[in-house]
Amino acid sequence: MKQQQMKRALLAVLVSGMFLPLGAQAAEADLLKKLEALTKEVEALKAQVQAQQQTTKQVADKVEMAESKSIGKWLTVGGDYQFRVDSMRGETKTYTDVVGTFANAQNALQADFFGNPVGVSTYFGPMTTSQALTGLMAFAQGMTAVQTYSQAQTFLGANAAMVGGLVGFASTVPTYKPKNDTMYSHRFGLDLSAKAAQDVSVSARLMMYKTFGDQTMDALSNGSNAPFSADRVGVFDGTLSHVPSDSYLNVDRAYATWNNLFDEDMWFSVGRRPSTNGAPTNLKYNTEWPGRGGTPALLVDYAFDGMTLGYGFDIDALPGAYAKVCYGRGFESGFRAPLMNSIQDTDMLGVAFVPIDTDRMRVWLQWNRGINIFDAPKMTNTYFGNTAPSINLGDIDWFGAGIMGKIKNVGSGDLNYFADFGWSVTHPNQNVSANFGFQGLLTGAFFQPEAPSDKTGGAVLLGVRYDLPSKTKIGFEYNYGSKNWITFAPASADMWTSKVGTRGNVYEAYVIQELDAKPISSFASKTFFRLGFQYYDFKYTGSNNWVGAPVKISDVNGQMMTMTPLSKAYDLYGTVEVKF
Amino acid sequence: MLKKFTVAAALAVSVIAFSPIASAADVKMVGAITDIKMAPDGKSATATLKNVKGGAEVTILIKDDVTLDKFKDKRIVKGDEIRVKYDDAAGNLSSSFKKTAGC
Repeated sequence: MKQQQMKRALLAVLVSGMFLPLGAQAAEADLLKKLEALTKEVEALKAQVQAQQQTTKQVADKVEMAESKSIGKWLTVGGDYQFRVDSMRGETKTYTDVVGTFANAQNALQADFFGNPVGVSTYFGPMTTSQALTGLMAFAQGMTAVQTYSQAQTFLGANAAMVGGLVGFASTVPTYKPKNDTMYSHRFGLDLSAKAAQDVSVSARLMMYKTFGDQTMDALSNGSNAPFSADRVGVFDGTLSHVPSDSYLNVDRAYATWNNLFDEDMWFSVGRRPSTNGAPTNLKYNTEWPGRGGTPALLVDYAFDGMTLGYGFDIDALPGAYAKVCYGRGFESGFRAPLMNSIQDTDMLGVAFVPIDTDRMRVWLQWNRGINIFDAPKMTNTYFGNTAPSINLGDIDWFGAGIMGKIKNVGSGDLNYFADFGWSVTHPNQNVSANFGFQGLLTGAFFQPEAPSDKTGGAVLLGVRYDLPSKTKIGFEYNYGSKNWITFAPASADMWTSKVGTRGNVYEAYVIQELDAKPISSFASKTFFRLGFQYYDFKYTGSNNWVGAPVKISDVNGQMMTMTPLSKAYDLYGTVEVKF
Repeated sequence: MLKKFTVAAALAVSVIAFSPIASAADVKMVGAITDIKMAPDGKSATATLKNVKGGAEVTILIKDDVTLDKFKDKRIVKGDEIRVKYDDAAGNLSSSFKKTAGC
């Protein structure tokens, strides 16, 4: 029995021994199946993820492409609006108005002739009235044929009687105090900048600038009286939209720039240039620190059509250093035909070297040459009628050196400062301007031609601006120009005349108050008020005018002049400005 | 004597060649800013630039006050194209960080 039990147990063990591995094998196969399924699932998931990634990449690429084409990615729009009120006072010296004198002579001789057609002239006897009137007309016509200093001497010698006789018709303008209590103006600018392609951009600025209640610049040019300043006779190519004129939105700037030439910090730019409002005027105008565009405002403030080739240096000791060569055309004379058109194009060549240009300090050196300087720009409806260049008077060299900077944390605010120095050297040719009584490039007076000779002038422009945490900015500027100082800055925002071209002293103080308003249109947007005062103390005549020799203001006493000589000028101004 | 001089010269050359100054490399690139991160204390920042050539992104460390001021008052913002010079042996520390704009 015991043996039988043993057999049974043994059999059971054997049987179970047979079945146990089979059960384990089944579990393993099941596990393998599950593993296989899991692997498939993982692979499927992987594929899904990859597909998802692919889709995401495609979406990202599409988004990037859409972004790159979206207008905000390649086009920047900005601009500014300025309302301005000026209260102006001035003091003039006694002079003889040339235009008025000729008009007097013409009117008197005509009246004499029509009153007594065959009689003896009341003014030029023993000539008849007819001969006197004809003589005046011949004199005027003969004048226009004069082109050189020697021709002018010959002409005046041959017409001494007529010149002497004109004294009898002198339109003497006694000293007076011009004033305009309130002159309102407003200016609107629209800035566009487009990234056209890699390293290629196009920038433009459209501007409108007008006085309230007028579509001319008569308010500044002295209307039907002789203008005070050569740069405020009328609007011309270099000042369009920079002096109040009309409500047309003109193209102030439009230029294409190609950066990173040859994979270097090198650029070429061509178009209607940003050659206005250069350093250091950004302080007074409360605009951004000047970039690589523009020229020092003491030497050039003129809307030029031209081009620039620039190069940035990588020298640790000279942070931000760059140099550029600029060229601009000041007057296009048109087709050449010797008998019809002897006047040459007027060009400007400039070389700038800026050894330091950081946001804390900027140092600049500048040389410019004005080539074939004209006597008068093209203007319409001026006191002198429609004007145009009639002759080239010679060349002018300009040299400049300046520094501007910012010292942070001076007291409770930041101190901005600048100092700029300029020299001008004229190189007159033998030509004189018949339109201006045979005056040349800083030579001669009306009907008193002077042998051509180089004239050297100098100027200095100094200033500070203190910026307070309250967004209040207080500034003071001073500039001085010597007797023969001449600049090329008619597009400045000054109303009487471009102050940097003044032969004398100009003092200006201003205060700017920015609103503490959160910018919306762009990070650079801001709104501010500016209140300022300018005092001009003229020492010589002809500020901003290269035609004719300057006359000491204290010596002005009835001489024949084309402009009204100012001895003092004052301008109290206020602005409301919004930049967006 | 000549041998001594030769050894000294070789040593000098090797010192120059393997000095840390020589191994520090200034890298220049032009790229568009894709990100700017100011440090909480405002004394440094990192800017990520996407190289205009190839599109590789590099993160630059900025510590100079002039550039930091430009970040703070938004004179330099995302999207601006920058010409940068940095030291890749010093954590990509920027030594020059300027907008490319020329005019």
